[in-house]
Amino acid sequence: MAQERMLSGCAAAAQGAKLAEVEVICSYPIRPYTAIMMELARMVANGELDAEFIHGEGEHAQVSVVLGASAAGARAYTGSSGVGVTYAFEVYSPAAGGRYPLQMAIADRTLDPPGDFGSEHTDAMSARDQGWLMGWAATPQEVLDNTLINFRVGEDPAIMLPQFVCQDGYFLSHIPDKVIVPELSQVREFLPPYKAPHPLSTECPVSHGPQIRPDQGAPMDAQRAATFLEVPRVIERAVADYNRIFGRNYDPYLEKYKMEDAEVAYFIQGAHANTCKAAINRLRSKGLKAGMVRPRWVRPWPTQQIAEAFAKVKAVASVETSTSYGGAMRGGNLVHELRASLYDLERRPLVTSFMAGLGGDVILLEDFEYMAKILTQMVQEKKTRQHVYWIGFEE
Amino acid sequence: MPIKVPKDREVPFGAITPAPVGQQELFITSNWRIVRPVIDHEKCTRCFTCYASCPDSCWSFNEKEEKMEWNWKFCKGCQICIYECPADALSAAPELDFEDGVVRLEKPF
Repeated sequence: MAQERMLSGCAAAAQGAKLAEVEVICSYPIRPYTAIMMELARMVANGELDAEFIHGEGEHAQVSVVLGASAAGARAYTGSSGVGVTYAFEVYSPAAGGRYPLQMAIADRTLDPPGDFGSEHTDAMSARDQGWLMGWAATPQEVLDNTLINFRVGEDPAIMLPQFVCQDGYFLSHIPDKVIVPELSQVREFLPPYKAPHPLSTECPVSHGPQIRPDQGAPMDAQRAATFLEVPRVIERAVADYNRIFGRNYDPYLEKYKMEDAEVAYFIQGAHANTCKAAINRLRSKGLKAGMVRPRWVRPWPTQQIAEAFAKVKAVASVETSTSYGGAMRGGNLVHELRASLYDLERRPLVTSFMAGLGGDVILLEDFEYMAKILTQMVQEKKTRQHVYWIGFEE
Repeated sequence: MPIKVPKDREVPFGAITPAPVGQQELFITSNWRIVRPVIDHEKCTRCFTCYASCPDSCWSFNEKEEKMEWNWKFCKGCQICIYECPADALSAAPELDFEDGVVRLEKPF
């Protein structure tokens, strides 16, 4: 029987990894993600999980160790936060280029300087162009579910890509919520054992990670791009199977909240979406038709689905939880791809962005109401006055 | 919008190949060489300093002919062997001086 338990995002990620029967785990401490490794270490010590638990000497080593484990044919799991995510950076591109479907959990933490523990998505967002699958959860339940869904998608023989499974630090990683922990037999039905196509082996020796020539670089890039075109099909099948086997109701790409008749809408990633939904309820009780779209994937970016979701909306607020200093909109990251996704619509909504949830800041109901006020103003004036608003720092 | 990579330009999945015995024929990497080491077998004392100093293992000993052999497929022309040779048996010659010089290649290999 599936069990309902109170689990934090970190505990839920550990449960997901345990249910996925990961074979190799590599840890290195940095908060907040480190609670995932504490849970997994306990499970291995108690004999609940039969996995090789390796202490890396740093994050670069962590990802290198799981890359090697994956190359040898093991289902491998690691994770990090903040500057730990950036310290491992060099290994991200070979992990994707070499097609190792390992999984890395990220519980966001603000990047240095000079050391801020709070959640901010810039750490993981910086790695979005490294060829991995990537997406954010909004609840501990979704963390567990995404852990399993990502292994299934990443290990699909047509895909074979590593996955960043992200969650907000603290807001999600350390606040417990009800989580349905499924049965192992259900998980085994959903997630077949990992089979590496060309594992390192003494019986059939292969060479991984050789030097390729410059003229081989472009076709390899094109082959990887072609693989990403296949990912949506695999995500849709995996999510449909997940919903059927575990009785969930996930949209493969987007969580849409009260979008049917929405005139203004928020575009927001991660756990701040929960506050956003409460704000929408308040705004609606005051007569404003507000809605929300939350992407479950950043890579692949659900371009088409986002365009469809906002096709009838008049104004959209991209709530940025990461920074891109000097970027096209002078604020965050999401708005660039959001605007690009909406460009081909016949009637494009007005778009602006709000810098919020940075450095561990909570996004308050009042902040969402402030955004709604700006959106309403934009609709009335039929124009976007500013591309970005820094919440709390506007005149 | 399908992406089409012509068969003759396809790279093996993840650049994973059967393990090479001796050398990796699928990824020859010497096309950026500008000069190559040329050996004077009369001067060579078979001391193996070139063998030991080459970062790409491009020197080997041909036991039958009892002389050092140079591997053109992986030599990048770094000239370490030339500087290290105690017998002064090696010299650098521009790739352009050779009919098969890699600088003359129209396609990398």
